[in-house]
Amino acid sequence: MDILALQNSLNTYLVLGALLFGFGAYGMMRNRTFIGMLISAELVLGGASINFMAFSRFLAPDPTVGQIFTLFIMGLAAAEAAIALSIIIAVYRNFKSIDTDDVAELEG
Amino acid sequence: MNIMLFAPELFLLTGALVLFLLSLGSAGGGKARGTTLLFAIVTVASALVCLHLEGSLFYNAYRIDFFSQFIKLIIAVGFLVVLLVGRQLKGVADDVRAEYYLFLTMSTLGLMMLVSSVELLTLFIALELSSYSLYLLVPMRDDRAGSRMQMEGAIKYILFGVVATGIMLFGMSYLYGLTGTTYLGELVTRLHPIMAQPAAIVGLAMVLCGFFFKLAVFPFHFWVPDVYQGASNETTAFIASVPKIAAVALLIRMTTLIAPGGWPVVNLLVVLAVASMFYGNLVALVQKDIKRMLGFSGIAHAGYVLLGILTLGQNGYATAMYYITGYLVMNLACFLVICAVSPKGENLQIDDLSGLHQRSPLLALTLAVGMFALAGIPPFVGFMGKFMLLANALNEGYLALVILAAINTAISIFYYLSVVRVAYTTSPEGYPAVQVAGTTKLVGVLLMLVIIAMGVLPTAMMNIATSAVRVLL
Repeated sequence: MDILALQNSLNTYLVLGALLFGFGAYGMMRNRTFIGMLISAELVLGGASINFMAFSRFLAPDPTVGQIFTLFIMGLAAAEAAIALSIIIAVYRNFKSIDTDDVAELEG
Repeated sequence: MNIMLFAPELFLLTGALVLFLLSLGSAGGGKARGTTLLFAIVTVASALVCLHLEGSLFYNAYRIDFFSQFIKLIIAVGFLVVLLVGRQLKGVADDVRAEYYLFLTMSTLGLMMLVSSVELLTLFIALELSSYSLYLLVPMRDDRAGSRMQMEGAIKYILFGVVATGIMLFGMSYLYGLTGTTYLGELVTRLHPIMAQPAAIVGLAMVLCGFFFKLAVFPFHFWVPDVYQGASNETTAFIASVPKIAAVALLIRMTTLIAPGGWPVVNLLVVLAVASMFYGNLVALVQKDIKRMLGFSGIAHAGYVLLGILTLGQNGYATAMYYITGYLVMNLACFLVICAVSPKGENLQIDDLSGLHQRSPLLALTLAVGMFALAGIPPFVGFMGKFMLLANALNEGYLALVILAAINTAISIFYYLSVVRVAYTTSPEGYPAVQVAGTTKLVGVLLMLVIIAMGVLPTAMMNIATSAVRVLL
């Protein structure tokens, strides 16, 4: 396949979305700090957003739906990041650390 | 637009706005509690009035039918009972109580909107509205006594929650890509011919993950024990009961998308049901903290509910509804006792219930009824629910599953009854007396009556649940 045609093919974006999802999921398991885990979680949401945009660009009968969905994901991701950061600050005040190994009094 | 269609949600929204204004001033917890109680009662009344309405709102993204209105009524009643159970709100400092009630109301509003959503974007927003408020309720526990486990519980809750949401969104993007629509009604017709495609199966399974997280089904259960233990008793009473109703309702709505070609999804549900039951029951055996034990028992009960959902039939759905409603009542009865017995809102070990039959006979009886019901002993609702779930699964040909579930019921009896044993056969020496308010006694008696009535006369409730579910099929 011509390398220049890649940018106009649905599969490129689906692979990119799936990769972001995979990186996010892997990062969630491997990261040792809460901020790192939050960034990984944002990658998962980014993967879903790319999927929505790709499907609405290439397949959907009405391309606005996917775009609106992505806008809402962005808005809610911002709200979720604000809440998560506020909880991380509360954790830091109590534990003086945001390392997952230090914050492990409960046996979950 | 007919305003009555949206009445219960509007009352809750108004209540949330009033609470927001209260939280801006320096109003104490008493005023906020009164406001919330008032709006909760109005919401229950309006949900009753609106029970038989039908219609669509917001460009057909929001469907009002008997199914949604019936569940909204249960959610509203559950919300009211949680408010009464946690009336003293011992675990939350007075200066943040207005915010606490604000988030509690918003969360209930989100759950109510969730059960009416028939469009993926609406569903996503309603789910997040209820989840974000819950994430914030957990760390609001009073930390003056030096307890800091609520922070740890909260951070685990939100991080797992975000991942579950991400998985659900990723699944939604596949469903949208395959069908080009986000409306559930159109998704059903367009998914059926292509159900055998791997993308459709993976997408649907990933969408279900978001609700597995809410219901605490096996691979999405990690948050449960820590959040139950970390959050204040009153918050746990809410998290353990009301959101599960909405989660089951949404699982029922989403599983109606599964067409005959979707057997891998059904097999997945079978595996998750078995894993949830075994994991929940076996780990609950060794717990010392009673809220943690109830958390693991909640995972097991999520497995039982899946038994009804995975048969994909009207009867199975109706029994799942019946069972989760019963679970709400049984669980609230147990949490009523926990909230009342805990002196300053700290966590209770199972040993702290020693001699409860002498310290407070009524609370001991409520606890016993709640635990017997959870264990599935007749004549309480837990027995009738489990019996109907197993009978239905047997009729549908899931013999192995029924045997495994029956083994699990036997395992679970041990840890439920050991709580009753501690409350009834040990001496109360060294444990403080329990002061029980009149309202608490009244709510306790009412909960016991409902547990027994639903167990003895299941037909009335089953008929309502069946006609609610029929709307979907």
